[in-house]
Amino acid sequence: MSILVVDTLAKTYPGRRKIPPVEAVRGISFTVEAGEFFGLLGPNGAGKSTTLGCITTLVRPTSGRILVDGIDVVKDPAGVKQRIAVVPQNRNLDRDLTVREVLTYHARYFGLAAAEREARADRLLAEMQLQDKAASKPLTLSGGMQQRLMIARALMHDPKVLLLDEPTTGLDPQARRTLWDTLRELHRRGLTLILTTHYMEEADRLCQRLAIVDHGQVLTLDTPIALKKSLPGGEILDLWVKAAEPLEPRLSALDGVNRIEAVARDGKEAGAADDGGERLRLFVDPKDGLLDRVLQSVRAAGADVQHVSLNPPSLEDVYIHLTGKELRE
Amino acid sequence: MTAFLALLRRDLHVAVRTAPLVLGTLTQPVLVVLVFGNLLPRLGLVAGNFGTVMMPGLMAITMMMAGVQGILMPLSADLAGNREIDERLLAPITSLGVACEKVLAGALQAAWAGLVCLPLMMFLMHEVGGSSLHPRWLLLLPVALVCGLLSAAFGLNLGTRVEPRYAGLLFPILLGPMMLFGCAYFPWSSLASLGPLRYLLLINPLAFISEALRMAVTPEIPHMPLPLLLGGLFGFTVLLAWLGARSFERRTIL
Repeated sequence: MSILVVDTLAKTYPGRRKIPPVEAVRGISFTVEAGEFFGLLGPNGAGKSTTLGCITTLVRPTSGRILVDGIDVVKDPAGVKQRIAVVPQNRNLDRDLTVREVLTYHARYFGLAAAEREARADRLLAEMQLQDKAASKPLTLSGGMQQRLMIARALMHDPKVLLLDEPTTGLDPQARRTLWDTLRELHRRGLTLILTTHYMEEADRLCQRLAIVDHGQVLTLDTPIALKKSLPGGEILDLWVKAAEPLEPRLSALDGVNRIEAVARDGKEAGAADDGGERLRLFVDPKDGLLDRVLQSVRAAGADVQHVSLNPPSLEDVYIHLTGKELRE
Repeated sequence: MTAFLALLRRDLHVAVRTAPLVLGTLTQPVLVVLVFGNLLPRLGLVAGNFGTVMMPGLMAITMMMAGVQGILMPLSADLAGNREIDERLLAPITSLGVACEKVLAGALQAAWAGLVCLPLMMFLMHEVGGSSLHPRWLLLLPVALVCGLLSAAFGLNLGTRVEPRYAGLLFPILLGPMMLFGCAYFPWSSLASLGPLRYLLLINPLAFISEALRMAVTPEIPHMPLPLLLGGLFGFTVLLAWLGARSFERRTIL
């Protein structure tokens, strides 16, 4: 049995005076198996956090059904909360308690006996390298430490599923890498992890399966490797050019060029770049001399090449292929 | 139930740690007693028994302020910004359970504040004519608890309905007038000369707290008829707790 079933979930936040209703999630479905590392990838406002909110019982679904370990989140929220743990986007650590008390009180909420509570607090403080800070107030810790404390807190009641909402947003690269190692280790021990992120690299490195979401819908769902393979047309040659005439006809006639797409940025027409130039995306078979032929062809049209890059497909390319726009960080 | 008790324990633990804040609510009423119950009677400027009349009222004000403060301040902080409340909502308990826990925690703080300020006020008025008090101590405990529940339920409404930036206006616009007209400085039964107008004062929950404490603290001074008193006290407690819990749920579960 799947540990998590999300079935045609929809959530519309009701409007108020002058504020129209917001359809944050429109029919999202996916399942997560026990022990899996699953990711929801998408831009801000895609509906990731709302989906997570519904799974964690803090957002009431408008329609659809969610089962955690076979338990319906609407019918038995307390039962679901017993089985899950959440590391939210906001650092919602209890400011009135000490670091150690944050852990022990959390365990009390879940009815852990005193000896168990203290032993786990000791172990997790050590694991998260927070022993020295046990008597400090959480708000005096650095961002990375607060994040580790939130993970320690989440693990106190031994959940079956750990949900993390954009856990590395706002962390420096060093702290981000430390956190990735921690999450990998938890996964290795058999914990089911569900992560939302808008960092492609993070999703690619950590998740076994990914749902790419946008506008409240799942665009595609597969392993990162399969997603990248799903892109038709081989490697990707990006050209930033300033041209007087359309270049597509010339370029698509070249040997080795399979397909051409114009790339949009948020709020801009497809193809229009910041400085009046455009970005063309060529799907190519990187044969001998291909780059030369492309550049010659562009120059022959009197266009100015500003920047070129040739890469194997990444998750970002999958995202651009699906939505026609970049995922801006 | 485990989660409920653990949350209650957490709130009381924090309340004890931040006790100076609650003690602050005692200062004003106690000083009022010092001036109006001790100083002015000695100077012959007010009648000696004024202190006796207003003492239960000031205890009521203390309890209401403690109840409101015990919920309003922590709750508006929990709901704002980083939403610390979410952690408690993720405990295995319903959001209604969390709301009830908040009210009980506030009620205990209010009852405690009331029971601490009473002997303090009695001491300050000691030896001033006409102010010998004989509280019914056994009755006082349950009365203080119910009055605390009413105060905290009122606080839950303020905490969930008033935006933090308007919290500063609460005192001059709402709490101040409530205190003046909350039968704290005069017994309701003495308002007979006002005619039907006196019933207008009953929209103020503080009136029932004052009268209930009057019944328990100064039995020699007449209080409002018992059915009216109990009806108002329990009616307001249930109504405000229900409205507050609904508003809490709306603010927490989106």
